[in-house]
Amino acid sequence: MKIRKIAILLLALCVGLLSGCGSRRGAAVIVAGSTSVQPYAEVLAEEYALLHPESVVDVQGGGSSAGISAAVSGTADIGMSSRALHDSELELWNVVIAKDGLAVIIHPDNPLQNLTLEQVRCIYAATISNWGELGGQEAEIHVIAREEGSGTRNAFEDLAMAKVEITPRAIVQDSNGAVRQLVSNDRNAIGFISLGLVDHTVKALELDGVAPTWDNVMGGNYTLYRPFIFVVAGEPTGLAKQFIDYTLSTEGQQLLMHEGLIPTMMLATEGAEQ
Amino acid sequence: MSEEAIETTNGLKAKKDVAGRVFFGLALASIGALALITIFILVQGMPLIAKVGVFDFIFGTKWAPLQGYFGIFPMIVGSVTVTLGAVILGIPISLCCSIFLAEFAPATFRNAFRPAIQLLAGIPSVVYGFWGLLFVVPLIRDYLGGPGLSILAGAIILAIMILPTVISISEVSILALPRQYKEGALALGMTHWQTIRSVQLPAAKSGIVAAIILGIGRAIGETMAVIMVLGNAVALPRSILDPVRTLTTNIGIEMGYATGDHQQALFATGIVLFLIIMVLNATAQYIVRRK
Amino acid sequence: MAKIQTIEANLYYDNFHALRDITMDIRDRAITAIIGPSGCGKSSLLRIFNRMNDLIPGAKVKGEVLLDGKNVYDNSAMDVVSLRQKVGMVFQKPNVFPMSIYDNIVIGPRHHGIKGKKNLDEIAEKSLRQVALWDEVKDSLKKPGLALPAGAQQRLCIARALAVAPEVILMDESCSALDPESTMKIEELMTELAKTYAIIIVTHNMEQALRVSDMAAFIMIDENKAGGLVEYAPTTEVFANPKDKRTEDYITGRFG
Repeated sequence: MKIRKIAILLLALCVGLLSGCGSRRGAAVIVAGSTSVQPYAEVLAEEYALLHPESVVDVQGGGSSAGISAAVSGTADIGMSSRALHDSELELWNVVIAKDGLAVIIHPDNPLQNLTLEQVRCIYAATISNWGELGGQEAEIHVIAREEGSGTRNAFEDLAMAKVEITPRAIVQDSNGAVRQLVSNDRNAIGFISLGLVDHTVKALELDGVAPTWDNVMGGNYTLYRPFIFVVAGEPTGLAKQFIDYTLSTEGQQLLMHEGLIPTMMLATEGAEQ
Repeated sequence: MSEEAIETTNGLKAKKDVAGRVFFGLALASIGALALITIFILVQGMPLIAKVGVFDFIFGTKWAPLQGYFGIFPMIVGSVTVTLGAVILGIPISLCCSIFLAEFAPATFRNAFRPAIQLLAGIPSVVYGFWGLLFVVPLIRDYLGGPGLSILAGAIILAIMILPTVISISEVSILALPRQYKEGALALGMTHWQTIRSVQLPAAKSGIVAAIILGIGRAIGETMAVIMVLGNAVALPRSILDPVRTLTTNIGIEMGYATGDHQQALFATGIVLFLIIMVLNATAQYIVRRK
Repeated sequence: MAKIQTIEANLYYDNFHALRDITMDIRDRAITAIIGPSGCGKSSLLRIFNRMNDLIPGAKVKGEVLLDGKNVYDNSAMDVVSLRQKVGMVFQKPNVFPMSIYDNIVIGPRHHGIKGKKNLDEIAEKSLRQVALWDEVKDSLKKPGLALPAGAQQRLCIARALAVAPEVILMDESCSALDPESTMKIEELMTELAKTYAIIIVTHNMEQALRVSDMAAFIMIDENKAGGLVEYAPTTEVFANPKDKRTEDYITGRFG
């Protein structure tokens, strides 16, 4: 008798849980993928929720590749990628929602202002290992990189390293925030993070004399940037489409710009307004 | 003897049977979970080990999964050095603490100190890591040089984290000794300290060794705390001030983005870790049983 | 002259008065038996001679306990380590340490600063010969002491006590855990050792007291549960011609 009661109880619990999941699923858009895009998508989701209180946008991390495969498999409605799509992924429906500059950052007390891309490459290849060789103080350079598989690392390798391998001796951290935190505490450190996340605790270097600013990325002078992409398995529909439309709207793009990203739709929308 | 009475005893028996079955089922479920995890890790990881080759996987020094290099030797060296460091720093402190608690501390102090030590075990490992990053790492960087994120930083954090395990188990094994050993030694005119060193510690040896092995197991399996303070570089360290990556942090730091062979390689890392910890636990069990 | 003298010795466990006004002289080269009913404080009395009561928190001795005229509770006259070296103790249950037979014997001398394998080997052989264990174990000195049978373990414990060259040996019901044959061996050993040492035993066994001891001290609790010395005289006298009614009742088996 008791066993039966327990079994019934368990069954009821399962049904309850499942139905809970189901009801939530119905009104929610799941956005998953790159942890670089994640914080921006969360901001978008919060604002979107204010405008449309009846719908829920659920933002999750997991990484670019995981996000894309989640979109393909249907685990997520929208996949987020912070790297250019591979050839095999290009057939998916996708849209660049913004561009993200990559800033090479050092400690604010480090006297250097400018490095050439070549010098950055040499630092990350460990062929230059002392700030003295670059005109700074005599001290070992503490090279900080992201982990294998990270979209930010991938973008940095593509854009800055030109097929040269990042030294295995580099310190590896698994988020932009951790890299920034380390650089802000270590006057001999160098790292790279999203331009939008640069704050007063670190100093973003000029590369080949070009400062990592919004204008310079827009104008194409600053070459370290990567696309932030939304990927959907097929033509987006329903809530997913509404959320993507919101992201690409003037409002959404301004929001992303405010957060430090470089909008892609601005010129087009400006054109439309005129 | 009425029929009613017979029914009652049968009812009792039936109740016992039900309870037995429920407990058996629950026990089976936990073993089942273990089996499932083991099988899952093996199924996920073995193909990659087979593909790379056991020797190249374990002794390969280059780890660049996206380019097809799967050598975890630097991580094995990382795990071993960090754990060894934790043992060198943590075990003497733990043993002194347990001896102090078991033999010297006044009861009031012991009653306050013991829960405090247990509290150390309750602090989430991420808090240890964060504390290490903000406190230990800058100290090392400023006074000893290097980036601060290092074997030393990890060893210090782990040394603190293994304290509760090693202290409580060795304290218990000292307290569990028959009183006669201590009395006998003291009656020979040995001092309290001589008694501890020459009679009680050797007598409690198996418990203490088991405590140390369990501490090592805890240290080698820890992930969150060390991920924040080790620097996670995948290269063979040249000094204790160099950053390293351990087997656990390799999984922890790359799991998020890994797919395909990369993901399998992380499971394969898990297999190696699993084996190491199984061997350690089996050794501890064996030593405790032998007593 | 007496080897050990107690002058109005009192023992307290915190507020509990365990022994009251014990005054007795203990002879050298003789066996003194402390007898009395369970819980009367026999073991407590034995343990004030080598200060083992110090291990019990709250235990306190008042009055004097003199070894060769020196107060053992006066740390300036004698420290507890050298006291216990001079006054050895054998316990109720054999408490062989979990180490080899050899190490069990030499652990004491080693800690008292005796160095050199030759010296220690000599001590080991001599002590084991004294307890008639040498022939039995001389080829297995490296084997664990705990592997010996109980009777041999107890003799090993006696040898261990002898190895630190004591002058007095305290035996706390040292045969009560042994079979009759082992008991007999130990008793023979006591008699032998009494030629060289002052031996004080606590025993429940009246026959044993009668068989081995030269002097007998009868202890009993008074109305306040404090143990007191009722009668102390040569053993034959105590047994044949007890002066106190309570002694007579006890040794004739009316209580206890």
